[in-house]
Order: sequence, then structure tokens, then C-alpha cells
Amino acid sequence: MTTVLRAAGRIPPAYLVFAALLAFLMWERPQMMNPNVLGIFLRQVAPLGIVVLAQLLVVRVGSIDLSGGGVILLVNYIISANVLPNAPGIAFVAIALGIGTVVGAFNGYMVARRRVSAVIVTLAVSIILVGFVQYLSSGSPPGDVPDYMNDLFDIRFGPVPAPVLFWVILTTCLAAFLNLTVFGRRIEAIGDNSVAAHFAGVPVERTVILTHTLAGLLIGVAALVQTASIAVGSVREGLDLPILSVAATILGGVVFGRGQGGVWGPFFGVLSFALLFVSMTILGVSEPGRLIAQGLIIFAAAVIYGLRTR
Amino acid sequence: MLPLLVVIGIVTWLSIGTDEFARPGNLSNLLAQAMPLLIASIGQMFVIVVAGLDLSVGSVISFSTAILALDAPGYLTFPALFMLAALIGATNGIAVTRLNVHPIIATLAMQYVVLGVTRLIRPVSGGTVPEFVIASVQGSFLGVPMPVFWAITVLAIGWKVLHASRFGLHLFAIGGGMASGQTSAARNFGVPETRIIISAYVASSLFAALAGVFLAGRIVSGDPNVGMLFELNSITAVALGGTQLSGGVGSLQGTAIGAFLLALLSNGMNLANVSPFIQTVVKGGLLLAVVSFQRRRKMGL
Repeated sequence: MTTVLRAAGRIPPAYLVFAALLAFLMWERPQMMNPNVLGIFLRQVAPLGIVVLAQLLVVRVGSIDLSGGGVILLVNYIISANVLPNAPGIAFVAIALGIGTVVGAFNGYMVARRRVSAVIVTLAVSIILVGFVQYLSSGSPPGDVPDYMNDLFDIRFGPVPAPVLFWVILTTCLAAFLNLTVFGRRIEAIGDNSVAAHFAGVPVERTVILTHTLAGLLIGVAALVQTASIAVGSVREGLDLPILSVAATILGGVVFGRGQGGVWGPFFGVLSFALLFVSMTILGVSEPGRLIAQGLIIFAAAVIYGLRTR
Repeated sequence: MLPLLVVIGIVTWLSIGTDEFARPGNLSNLLAQAMPLLIASIGQMFVIVVAGLDLSVGSVISFSTAILALDAPGYLTFPALFMLAALIGATNGIAVTRLNVHPIIATLAMQYVVLGVTRLIRPVSGGTVPEFVIASVQGSFLGVPMPVFWAITVLAIGWKVLHASRFGLHLFAIGGGMASGQTSAARNFGVPETRIIISAYVASSLFAALAGVFLAGRIVSGDPNVGMLFELNSITAVALGGTQLSGGVGSLQGTAIGAFLLALLSNGMNLANVSPFIQTVVKGGLLLAVVSFQRRRKMGL
């Protein structure tokens, strides 16, 4: 009996939340339970899903990355403000990945080498980038995104939208990467106990820097998907993705330094958020209500894990 | 010591370089601008000394302006807002101590909840603030502008609590233990750790509420966004003042100097017509620079 309870206690809260919300939606709006409608809901959270992949990497080594908002705004600005007239799509991809990687590497250097608090560094980087973008655009939305980006975003394979497929593939790749490579093992070792990992010969600083760099690269990818999804320039959209990603990651069972939820726990954390947004829209919850709900969910998930890891 | 020299340097440079700076009008304006940050930073310092961090101060500030601007008599809203702030702080503190939640996560979640509630009761800025609040901020007593008295009062309270009471001593003891990696060092010497840490978070929220009262008196209305970025600016001010974010080391005068340095920077950049967006960039860069010179033992959050 106790072993059953203990096993149930190890299930990441995301699965339970997901099941509860799904049941609620089936009961409240059965007509919405068809693949096409669900595909549209899932498409909206694809950028968040990719940010979560980045977040779970850094959270696994006991760090955090809140700089995503700044990176997303900067990439969105460069693509939409016509900074590079007639640039080919591949140039935008290179720029987005480049910005993400550089910011990630900087975060990693500050966290691992200079031992600065990860929250402070990444928040500071984010407000610097946001301030810079707002200065460039004088606080107003810059312009439009090239049409082909939105067209790419609208492709579907049967009921499955392309961004969702892309997100699932990326998640599978990351899961394989973490399970099969030495680097993935090192991340796990550092998460369990960085001192022990150090004495076992794991290059702790280098691994943390690389983890942050990889996370930055993924946030660059997320910035592209986010830009394609909103299809216009914006100086506001996407700012809350980093903090939502922390919530989804914790909800998915990855707590700081411990990765019991693997990659699919946070994945279901994101799915839960997708259903949560839909449920709140159905119930007519306003924007302040959403903020409160998000805060309470982060809080509840953190408390569950705080009590469990004592 | 370095920040003090920088403050003196900027003051001399501004008073020589620009005509407006040294005028009494601008100086009292500067003090009034620095006040909310100073108050919030003193509160922030309590939790930083015990190796915590309070990211909810910004929304508590907005929240208290919104409460004051409610359509209710001041003798009700004024005590109510401090009681609610104490409740917010106590929740943060209990989450951190009893429920074993990381301070950053707990206060970040709280930031969201409080911001949501603030937007519910006051979606856009407006409303009117009780008369006595406005008078206590904008008026003057014996020819001296009120912000001077505010400064003396909060610094006196902060000094008494941090540096001249058993509570303050316990704060530094707990933080010092945590900074050296022994989380229960202070408890082993009989310091009531849980209670002290909860009180630190309550103090932080109460000071944030006080900063909100001051701001409400200045803008004469409630504003759901007025506290934005206060959490980061107050951390910057505390860190600039030499308080270690790993806990246990710090001083009130340092925090005061840090807050004035930041306010001075804003004032100088305003006089020099620097875009507010660039000002955010500069402050973010400053925070980054300050914390990167604080060596910690631990890696991570």
C-alpha cells in the first residue's frame, strides 16, 4: 500500500493537472474534443514548449534562465522591423540562433565561472535586451513579419499542425540526447550533486556553460516559432514565456537539480497550460485572473515538490 | 566605499556640468524620487541578509497604491493595506521556511498573484488617495519638505531593527551560516530560525507597502504598474551597497548609498534627456556588473 502511494507521489503533477483539465473540458465542451480544434490549441503553445526544453536543461543543472523574453523580442524586432531588407529566410534563422547562442553562452559564463546568481544574471540580461529593443522601436510595434513565416506556421499534416510536429520532434531529440550521450549523463550527475560530480571527474563549469549555451540556442529556435506565430512585430508578446516555462518545468516534475520528470513531464506541463488557457477562456476569466491562476499554479507545484524533497 | 565615492563624483559632475542639478527644487525632487527605492531597498535588505530574495516587492508597491485609491475612507484602507502586506510577507516566509520552496520561486509566484489582484481592483491608473497621505508626502513641516522626515524615519527604523536589536543580530547570524554552507548553524546555537526568516519576509513586504504609500502620495492616484522593476532596482541598490547576496554581510548605510546612487543616476540621465528605455538598459548593466564582482561559493540560482 505504501509503495503504491509512494509511486503515486512520484508522478509529476503535470500528468494529474492535464488529466483533470482534459476531463473538465470533455464535460464542459465535448464538441471541442476533435483533433482539429485541439491542434489549434496546441499550436499556440508550441513556442512555450520549445522554451520549456531550454528551461528544463538549465533547471536540471540547478540553474534557471529567465532571459528568453529579451531574446524573443530582439529576434522579433530584427525580423519585423525591416532591419535587413530582402534578407533570405535562412539569414533570419542564422541570426536568431546566433543571438540565442551568444546570450546563452554569456549566461553560462556568468553562472558557472563567475558564480553569479542565475536569476539575477538572466533577469538583468532580459531587461537590458527588452530596454534596447524598446529604445530601437520607440516603444511601438515595429512592422510586419515576412509572409512565408506565417505560411510555414499554418502548414498541417492531417490534423497535426507543423509547429506542433516540430516541437514533438525537438522534444524527442532532446530526450534521446539526454539519455544516450555522455553530456546528458554529466548534466544528470551535476543535478544530483555538483560537488560529487566534480570529484568524480565531471567538468562541472564547462558542462554548465555548455548547458546554458544549448538552452540559448533552443530559445533562439523558440523566438523564430513565436515570431511566426504572432506574424507581426511586437514589443510585448512573449515576455511571459520564460516564467511560464519555469512553471511548466516544475509542474512536469523537474525540480532544481532533480530530473525525475524527464523531458516528457515538462512536455505535459506545457499541454496542461494549453488546456488551462482554453479552460480560462471558456470560463471567461480575465487577464488579471490568468495572472493569479499562473501564480497559484507555480506556487502549488513548488510547494508539492518542496515538501517532497525535504 | 567605492559607491560613496561614485555618488560624490556624480554629484560634483552634475552640479558643475548642468545648471539645473544643484537647484533646491531639483535636490528635493531627487530626494522624493529616491525615497520609494530607499524604502523598498531597506525591506529587500532584510531578506537578502538571510540569503533570500523578494521578487514580490514591485507588485506589493503597486498593490498598496491600488488599495489606497479604493473608494473607501483612509482610516480603513491605510491599516488594511499594511495588514494585507504582512499577510503576503508571511505567506512568502512560510513557503520558504516550512514548505521548503526556493525564495525566488515563492516570491515570483507571489508577484504574479499580487499583480493579478492589483489589476482586478484597479485595471488602469486612477482613483483618489486619502488627503492625509498626500499631505504627508507633498507637504512640508517647519519649512522642511516631508520626504526629509520620511528618510530620517525609515533610516532610523532600519538602523534600530538591523543593527541595534536582537532580531537584527539573529538575521546576520542566520545569513552568515547559510553563506558558509551550513544551513542549520544558527539554529544549532538556539536562534529561532524559522520565525526570524518569516519576520524578515514580513518586514520586506511592510517596507514595500510603505514605499507604495509614499508613491501614492506623489502620484495622487492608484497605478497597477507603478511598482514595475522595483524588485530588480531594489536588489541592485542593496547589492551596490555591498550587501552579499549569499547572505550574512551587509550594512544599512551601504543600502542607503546604493539607493541614492541609483536615484542619482536616474536624475542625471533625466537631466541629460536619456531615453527611459536606455535608462533601463543602464540599470540592468549596472546590476550585472555589481553582482559579477560578488564571488559566491555556490553555483546556480
